Amino acid sequence: MSFKPSSAEPTGTYFSGRRTRLYSILGLAIALVAVVVLATSVGSVHIPLLTTFRILVDKLPLIDITQTWQSPLSTIILEIRLPRVILAGLVGASLATAGATYQGLFRNPLADPYLIGVAQGASLGAVVGFLLPITWQGFGFGLIPLLAFIGALVAAAVVYGLARVGKTVPVTTLILAGVALGALLGSIVSYLIISSGEDMHGIIFWLMGSFSLSQWSEVGIVLPYAVVGTAVIIIFARLLNIMQLDEEQAQQLGVSVEKIKVILLAAATLITAASVSFVGTIGFVGIIIPHAVRLIWGADHRFLLPLSVLTGAIFMILTDLVARIVLAPTEIPIGVITAICGAPFFLYLLRRRKRVIF
Amino acid sequence: MKSKVCLLCTICLISALALSFSASCESVPESAPPSPIEVTDQLGRVVRLETAPQRIISLAPSNTEVLFALGLADRVVAVTDYCNYPPEAEAKPSIGGFSTPNMEEIVALSPDLILATSIHESKVISQLESKGLTVLALNPKTVNEVLEAILLTGKVAGVEENASELAAEMQQRIKAVTDKIASLSPEEKLKTCYVVWFSDEGLMVAGADTLQDEIIDKAGGLNIGMEVKDYASIDIETVIGLNPEVMIVGTGHGSSGNDTFDYTRTEARLRDIDARQNERIYGVDSDSATRPGPRIVDGLEQFARFIHPELFE
Repeated sequence: MSFKPSSAEPTGTYFSGRRTRLYSILGLAIALVAVVVLATSVGSVHIPLLTTFRILVDKLPLIDITQTWQSPLSTIILEIRLPRVILAGLVGASLATAGATYQGLFRNPLADPYLIGVAQGASLGAVVGFLLPITWQGFGFGLIPLLAFIGALVAAAVVYGLARVGKTVPVTTLILAGVALGALLGSIVSYLIISSGEDMHGIIFWLMGSFSLSQWSEVGIVLPYAVVGTAVIIIFARLLNIMQLDEEQAQQLGVSVEKIKVILLAAATLITAASVSFVGTIGFVGIIIPHAVRLIWGADHRFLLPLSVLTGAIFMILTDLVARIVLAPTEIPIGVITAICGAPFFLYLLRRRKRVIF
Repeated sequence: MKSKVCLLCTICLISALALSFSASCESVPESAPPSPIEVTDQLGRVVRLETAPQRIISLAPSNTEVLFALGLADRVVAVTDYCNYPPEAEAKPSIGGFSTPNMEEIVALSPDLILATSIHESKVISQLESKGLTVLALNPKTVNEVLEAILLTGKVAGVEENASELAAEMQQRIKAVTDKIASLSPEEKLKTCYVVWFSDEGLMVAGADTLQDEIIDKAGGLNIGMEVKDYASIDIETVIGLNPEVMIVGTGHGSSGNDTFDYTRTEARLRDIDARQNERIYGVDSDSATRPGPRIVDGLEQFARFIHPELFE
């Protein structure tokens, strides 16, 4: 399925003006900050809003407020909630951007960050990490995220290697190879799960994705990947636009298609792998957020990508908030919430617009 | 030469001062100094406490049972959603589920001791320690380790007499069972299995290296599940081939109510096995039979009554 540039689109059915889109980016950025503060103030333990502000403001450089709160509260705000919220934002942004990139690269609306086996590779790595009788802790992360990361990258590399034909990587072959390897890895993971005994509970929770137990060290590791990977992708936004044409046409327009494919694939895979390794395979975000952004602001990647970053971050932080307060102190797996929240919203958007956008 | 003598004298003086200092520290205190407790828990971690803990959080139902059995009920500040025994435990505030404890709630309660299990080893324990909390992990895999867990908790909490009393009582009850069983010949041991649940693939039974395997053996049975390790599924064909004479099935909320029990008693393909023919399929509350806590002795006694009713009551 190829993308037809929207010359036949009626204007005014989405925000198409450059200024509107720039303002939207600014507005969303402010909204993101507000959402971060909101999510940090709310949780299963009730902490008065003023106390939260005091604790957060006290941490800003050059400002010092005398401590009027008990130390467990600042531990909760600064070491439990804040890293969790920030990690959720990073992961949401990464998955949404990776999803938009994959959809652009493959010119396929069903593409999501897990298309070329990243999720299954990470799951296999994580399950192996759960089942190995050794524990290892170093550089701020443990065995499971490390093996998950390695698994994700190895799976993506294998798929890429399988799909390569000479110097080119036809996207259809990539998709097929990804699906095939994903199925194989998925079946291995299923087998390991049934024979996992007492670890089964922990494994299944990991696979459903969760931000509980996030800590600053994890943020520190995911942040560079997310920032660098997203920056690389956004730099290539214009080229991604051109690649929506047939690959041959893009090549004739002077775009070195294969090189760009590799770079963008690698960047998107890296940010997905980094996210999935720490929080598990959270579905829905990577495929739906880019579509929702397209419906509202159009498919120009120069705006689609930054807007996906912001929208993805806000969405993930809010769904994580819901996941942890609705049934407190029990947490709902976040994959459940993303699906429940995302699907109706997306259907609503589709009904409103009533046009084909891809 | 003179400077060397000076140096030597200075060193002697300083060491003498240091020695006298430490000596005086040991002999001076008016009130009893807080006696630091240092133990190695059942995950091999060294745990250090300055004083006996007053605010304890349990992260597993088995740990909760141990705490209450040791008389520490008023020192327990929170338990998990699944801690249902003793009934007083359900009244305690909850900090979430088994493998998903809520960090915020735990930190807000300012506990000085947290009892965890091996399930928490991969992530939760390091998280808790990074917040400066003390964690003791109990991970008994055999009946003896259950007794050790009780003694360990008693030592850490400063209730060693309660712990040794409880352990001694449990030992006595275990011995009462194993003594009678010792008089049996190998042929008199009945083929038994402990069933956890069922599926299309077969029955999930307790295999080798499980607590149930051990108590089946102590209760005079022969665990047909010992071919497999831990809890694993055996397909129906193999179950029929192994032909158990006694089947003990877990019931209760952890085992989907009575579903498995009903299945083993009504499934058509199992009609020829000895256990069904002689109506020796028994249901037991899985909490008392599987939790590695004080009630494991209840489980053992129940198993003994099921397998050898002629010897017990």
